[in-house]
Amino acid sequence: MESVTFTLNGVPRTVAVEPGLMLLDVLRDVLHLTGTKRGCDNGTCGACTVVVNGKAVKSCTFPLAKADGAEITTIEGLAQGEHLHPVQQALVDAGAIQCGFCTPGIVMDLYALFETQPDAPQQKIDNVLNRHLCRCTGYETIAEAAHLAQERIKETK
Amino acid sequence: MEGKYVGQAVTRIDARSKVTGQALYPGDFVMEGMLYMKLLFAGRPHARVLRVDTEKAESLPGVVAVFTSRDVPFNEYGLQYPDQPVLVGPPGDPEAARQLVGGGIGRDEVRFVGDQIAAVVAESEEIAAQAVDLIAVEYEDLPVLSDPRDSLKPDAPQLHPKYPGVSYHPELVFEGNIASRHRIRRGDVDAAFAQAAVVVESEYEIPGQEHIFLQPEAGVGYVDDEGRVTVITSGQWAHEDRHQVAHALGLEEEQVRIIYPAIGGAFGGKEDLSVHIVLALAAWKLHRPVKLVWSRTESIIGHHKRHHVFARARWAAAADGTLLAAENYVIADAGGYVYTTNKVMGNLLLTCNGPYKIPNVKTDVLGVYTNNIPGGAFRGFGAPQGNFIAEAQMNKLAEALGMDPVELRLLNVVQGDDPMPWGKPLPDDARGLVDTLIAAAKAVGWQQTEQGWQAPACAPRPGDPPTLKRGVGLALGVKNVGFSFGYQENAWAAIELRGGREIEAAVVYAASSDVGQGTRTVIRQMAAEALNLPLELVTLEPTDTGITESSGSCSASRMTFMIGNAIKGAAEAALQKWADEDRPARAEYTYLAPKTTPIDRETGYGDPNFSYGYVTVATQIAVDTLTGQLYFPKMACANDVGQAINPRLLTGQIEGGVIQGLGWATTEHFIEKDGYPLTKTLSTYLVPTIVDIPDELEAIVIENPEPHGPWGARGMGEMPLIPVAAAVQAALHHAVGLWYDAFPFTTERVLRGLKLKE
Ligand code: FES
Ligand code: FES
Repeated sequence: MESVTFTLNGVPRTVAVEPGLMLLDVLRDVLHLTGTKRGCDNGTCGACTVVVNGKAVKSCTFPLAKADGAEITTIEGLAQGEHLHPVQQALVDAGAIQCGFCTPGIVMDLYALFETQPDAPQQKIDNVLNRHLCRCTGYETIAEAAHLAQERIKETK
Repeated sequence: MEGKYVGQAVTRIDARSKVTGQALYPGDFVMEGMLYMKLLFAGRPHARVLRVDTEKAESLPGVVAVFTSRDVPFNEYGLQYPDQPVLVGPPGDPEAARQLVGGGIGRDEVRFVGDQIAAVVAESEEIAAQAVDLIAVEYEDLPVLSDPRDSLKPDAPQLHPKYPGVSYHPELVFEGNIASRHRIRRGDVDAAFAQAAVVVESEYEIPGQEHIFLQPEAGVGYVDDEGRVTVITSGQWAHEDRHQVAHALGLEEEQVRIIYPAIGGAFGGKEDLSVHIVLALAAWKLHRPVKLVWSRTESIIGHHKRHHVFARARWAAAADGTLLAAENYVIADAGGYVYTTNKVMGNLLLTCNGPYKIPNVKTDVLGVYTNNIPGGAFRGFGAPQGNFIAEAQMNKLAEALGMDPVELRLLNVVQGDDPMPWGKPLPDDARGLVDTLIAAAKAVGWQQTEQGWQAPACAPRPGDPPTLKRGVGLALGVKNVGFSFGYQENAWAAIELRGGREIEAAVVYAASSDVGQGTRTVIRQMAAEALNLPLELVTLEPTDTGITESSGSCSASRMTFMIGNAIKGAAEAALQKWADEDRPARAEYTYLAPKTTPIDRETGYGDPNFSYGYVTVATQIAVDTLTGQLYFPKMACANDVGQAINPRLLTGQIEGGVIQGLGWATTEHFIEKDGYPLTKTLSTYLVPTIVDIPDELEAIVIENPEPHGPWGARGMGEMPLIPVAAAVQAALHHAVGLWYDAFPFTTERVLRGLKLKE
């Protein structure tokens, strides 16, 4: 059996590869990092989004084998102790969390976007949010949160 | 009545844990020595199970156990009536089987694709899945009923034996394939039709809807350190789940424990059991933790849907618009099992004539078995379907009379002591009907003129292509809060005050399911308010049948109303004990809501509910007649909520509810063919994404205090969804001049209608 090594939330990790294993399986079932969610079977809901080498990916369709040498950030790796990342804080402040099952995926996608493109145009933000299903909020507050996060991130840059 | 915490947009207590990924949902639990379960679903709509051969599966290395029908002590369950086998197949102990309802007959019959045959437990999920494929089942396929109208034909096969009825659900009649029957008879409709100036007659097909709560069903079963079989899972009423698990396992309720952690949405879709019994069974027999997580497709196949409904409606009015008669005949697809069909249909019965003064009413509603996925609870619980019938009829009558739809409603809406079709007035003054109607109508451009209310002219805007047509439409809604028809509504809470001279901590116990709506946050706010303590001192224990009594179901828009009253009672009693120097001072309180009565089986007369919510949705629409695409420049939803306990959570309910209603009305098309669902994934069943929502959604909050509500609050969680579909239908008609009497209004359907018109 082969193995892959990657950095997960700043910590190096080595895991065995089995054929067909996706990054989400390893995060949830092997490493027990259950903050990343599974909401579907076919890459449609966005709940499993994590950041690999600075890019948001759907971990349910991301083969583990491709993670070798990668830098991976999950929802567990975002807050600095008590201090939430601005994207997280914005979702809290905008009241954009209900059941919260979609929340980690949305946080990670917006985080990746604003890391690379703090002044991303509205169209870009909409494209990112359009990758996520939320059944509770009706999206209004999520869009507000994205806006709020962007403003705060731009202020600090 | 606002207070220090009541009426304040307090941040939800679980916001931080959810936004950091720390919150644990049912699929997130990992326990020492945990095993994994996979289920064998029948995957066929109607068949007799002749033989289940598990030998190969059992001999696969890593498989610990395979459970079949023979292993379930009392192989039946159901929220309203136990007509569903836990695992379908031949009985183990024929003696025990004879004690089941209907004498255990037909427990070897598959009645919809989501029926389950076997549960495999193994060292890993992969092994369990492999073993499921090794189970050999011999079926005898039976004729499939996939349309409730066919189920009513005299030569249709009967899907269930004739079960004995129960006194507390008299509407469950089990006549042939009719599971439940409901009616209202008032006045003489035929005489009224004969004198009417205007009669509107329609046939409607109202679609089902899949919940798509984002967290599919999951859980962990284990035996706790007090020897209780315990399931950590999602649900909407922990004590009812416990009751059903105990029944199937043949245990005392005290031997079963249900715990709800964070729950990823429910919307009615988690009222009925999913993973609960099989997990409890496996944990009980194996004495090891067992985990089961459904895939999205298993979830779509395995849990009920909003009822698919066929309706005929004939309504009459005098020339001045006064309503004279309403006749509705409604057939609903109950699917393979009862689930909550009888209660959903009861609500459909009460809502399908709207909140109007109608002297002559004849309504028949039937809940009918088929081999489709069962119909059941979904936000609104029959009211959305009933509302569509009533409000489509009202909008059509307005057109036929040449009256503005707002004016027609103002003329006919009940006020004060006007009786509803069941012979009693609404219990409060129901000012919310008119208030929400006016507020929502105004928000999308209605104006009051010398001639009364007038819809805005929907002229093309600069830049509109000639193929774009604009319109507006609205619908008014009403629905009960809390359980109905004579059930004594109740909710339990306890409060423990700790400290010495000063109260240092207040611990609240309540069995309320936080499915995302924020009930735990609201409970904490209400407790702080009732105790007059700083919010920081108030904590809330988990929802766990091991430490709480029943607070009832998180459904029927009831929890804030019911638990708020329970908390007020518990707080008062605990403060009294504190004053009496009890340390800790602990008090429990069970709130009993005002009494209701069953409705008469023949006439529908009675006093079925103690509280109602009022809502109006009004919308602007733009229809691209080239593509059939619908756009919503502005939508408004006005709700009479009595008193917002947490305005932010409350607007979250309004926005989310409206968009769920918009999905039902436009994009969500749940298709079943010959008993097989065709839309089993999120790429074929389309729930709205951010690009599908209105450009502007105005949530209007109106606060006419509910006389019995805590701090004047009334239930509201379901209301915003209810009138959306009828409002969209009306706006669509306003824009293109067509009544679409079946929905969802998908682009294909819209185009088809336009082509036919040409
Ligand atoms: S789990 Fe749904 S997109 Fe990955
Ligand atoms: S908050 Fe429930 S799915 Fe988004």
